[in-house]
Amino acid sequence: MSGLSDIGVKVEGDSEPEDGPTTRIGNALPILHEIETYLTRLTQGGEPATIDLRAMPLAPGDYETLQRLLGEGEVSATIDALGPTRVRETAVRGVWWVTHHGATDEVVAEFIEITRIPTILQTVDEDLVDGLLRLRDCLAQEGQAASD
Amino acid sequence: MAKDDDKEQTLGEVLRQQGVSRRGFLKFCATTASLMALPPSMVPAIAKALDKAPRPSVIYLSFQECTGCAESLTRSHSPTLESLMFNAISLDYQETLQAAAGTAAEAALHDAMKKFHGKYLLLVDGSIPVKDDGVYSTIAGKTNLQIMKEAAEGAAAVVAVGTCSAFGGIPKANPNPTGAVSVGDLMKSGQIATKPLINVSGCPPIPVVITGVLAHYLTFGEVPALDVHGRPKVFFGETIHDRCYRRPFYDQGKFAKTFDDEGARSGWCLYELGCKGPTTYNACATTKWNGGVSFPVESGHGCLGCSEPDFWDKGSFYAPLSTGHWGTAEGIAAAAAAGAAIGIGAAAMSRRHQDTISKEE
Amino acid sequence: MDLLTFARGPALQWSVAIFFLGVLWRLFGVFLLRRKKDYSKPRSTHLWRGAIKGLIVHLWPYKEFRPKVVQSYILGYIFHIGLAIVVFFFVPHILFIKNIIGVGWGGLPNSFIYITGAVTIAALVAMLVKRIANPVTRLLSNFDDYFSWFVTIAPVVTGLMAAAHWGGRYEHVLAVHILSFELLLVWFPFSKLMHTFFFVVSRGTTGALFERRGTSA
Repeated sequence: MSGLSDIGVKVEGDSEPEDGPTTRIGNALPILHEIETYLTRLTQGGEPATIDLRAMPLAPGDYETLQRLLGEGEVSATIDALGPTRVRETAVRGVWWVTHHGATDEVVAEFIEITRIPTILQTVDEDLVDGLLRLRDCLAQEGQAASD
Repeated sequence: MAKDDDKEQTLGEVLRQQGVSRRGFLKFCATTASLMALPPSMVPAIAKALDKAPRPSVIYLSFQECTGCAESLTRSHSPTLESLMFNAISLDYQETLQAAAGTAAEAALHDAMKKFHGKYLLLVDGSIPVKDDGVYSTIAGKTNLQIMKEAAEGAAAVVAVGTCSAFGGIPKANPNPTGAVSVGDLMKSGQIATKPLINVSGCPPIPVVITGVLAHYLTFGEVPALDVHGRPKVFFGETIHDRCYRRPFYDQGKFAKTFDDEGARSGWCLYELGCKGPTTYNACATTKWNGGVSFPVESGHGCLGCSEPDFWDKGSFYAPLSTGHWGTAEGIAAAAAAGAAIGIGAAAMSRRHQDTISKEE
Repeated sequence: MDLLTFARGPALQWSVAIFFLGVLWRLFGVFLLRRKKDYSKPRSTHLWRGAIKGLIVHLWPYKEFRPKVVQSYILGYIFHIGLAIVVFFFVPHILFIKNIIGVGWGGLPNSFIYITGAVTIAALVAMLVKRIANPVTRLLSNFDDYFSWFVTIAPVVTGLMAAAHWGGRYEHVLAVHILSFELLLVWFPFSKLMHTFFFVVSRGTTGALFERRGTSA
């Protein structure tokens, strides 16, 4: 009875050359062109834009190619809401990579945002008000404690 | 299951009550938009809609099924977001997931149907047998057909989850001993009330497709745009072939000839190994499975066409799409022999006619 | 039963059976007819040589006739060769044939096939236009001529439509493509399309006769 070792295995990934198959079949370059268009628009005073990475067919290797070409920038942030969300600015400033993870760390959504700051990092008005009330409560309590 | 008084709250209120921050809510909306294949620019609008949406009651009925669809549903996303979805809706009845059993469960079902009559979303899993008065599948002494009839009466909309409820599936395959039919068939024949019907086919459907449809209904309160088979166009609008990453190999004429041969290992097209991608509409090639890890073609096996009607009866999974049932060698030999016989007969008649004419002269 | 299952199933079985029945009927029916006896003295007995010469000579028109007919010859070759390329070198077609005769072969890239298909259609349309524009051929043309043209061009057109996803849902266009081919199969034995088998014998026989009578081919 033949065993698992008889099943042929082809290892990919590590053996890929540096100037690897970017020009092979795949969507990495078209996506980069799209990013370039949005970034140009942003520099000319246009609106920010978001690309949903789940909305397009990515061939095996496209994802890594995109990451490699965009690189890593100097900003990274983690948001703890319904599981971690990792935000990182790529080496191309203004292009942010936002990965939403669920509670067990699997990826639930992934976006590339072309913006000055991703929306999820910003503090919304309702939260500001909540925060202010919380701070006032805190001050009131401390004030009470001090005067006791 | 959920408490009764939650039902009058909006979704946004429920989520905030559960300690979901606004950033968490935004994440939930962004993920939902991605699920529904809506552009990211729509996220603010979705957030607004979901924030104010009322929580619909959802009843999930399981009939002649393998429970694969319920399993698929519970694999969708992280537990957190999934439980969000289940808290966003009020899942009042689901046999596999609920804690209640026996008469308590039946009571829960009837209470929900009565209280939210005309407003609940009915999810149906599995085909409904109708032969011999439907005795082949019963729950608590009632046939599936009877339960379906009762439940459809008060439903606002019906979602047929999986190919079995959408098209009949495995039970309907030749020779269909139980007389299995789909939800759509029952509506067409008038055996149950006709309600807006969404067919989410697939064997099983991709988990995020199920939750995406639910999310759409929650956000917009209505049925999404459907194709000719009643499936949401957003997930079933394109064929696997049209979005397959192996398409360039198909176009170049590079095909794997057998499983695990050189071509197969190089990721070539699986057309010759029976892939039904060209005639199958589903989101497998883009949305993929297991959180976007892979789908059958990417793992080296041709598409079975599991989201299409009667896919079990469309010939071998391993015969290429362009082959057909051309008959048998014996049949063709018989036809050829018959033709030859007619030809010989015709020639014989012609020669005899010539003899007759020349004899007359 | 949906249209595609019907086209790949019962329709295919019947049309293939009718094709074989019809072709053998015609072949036996024609080749078993009596031939006129030639009582003249044979100028040559190397009739086979004459037959081969006949086949070769008819590949291109005689010098005297060229101005009138060479265009039709060229168009004819374009569409015949184009059709052969599309039918025998498109991989799904090869698989169809392999399923029946058990033998397959390598195919050509799809884009090449699509272009060849378009050229074939253009040649076929040009031929129809010539047939209708010329008063003599228009007078002589009958139902067989026009319908045979139709069943030949229909599969190529519907095939390109399917490849382009144009004209409706893919599975419907594909079904129509298969059905159009089945129509050709059924019409084939009872029409001028039988020239596929007969032309070899006709041209060969003419050549053999010419050889026997000592005329130059």
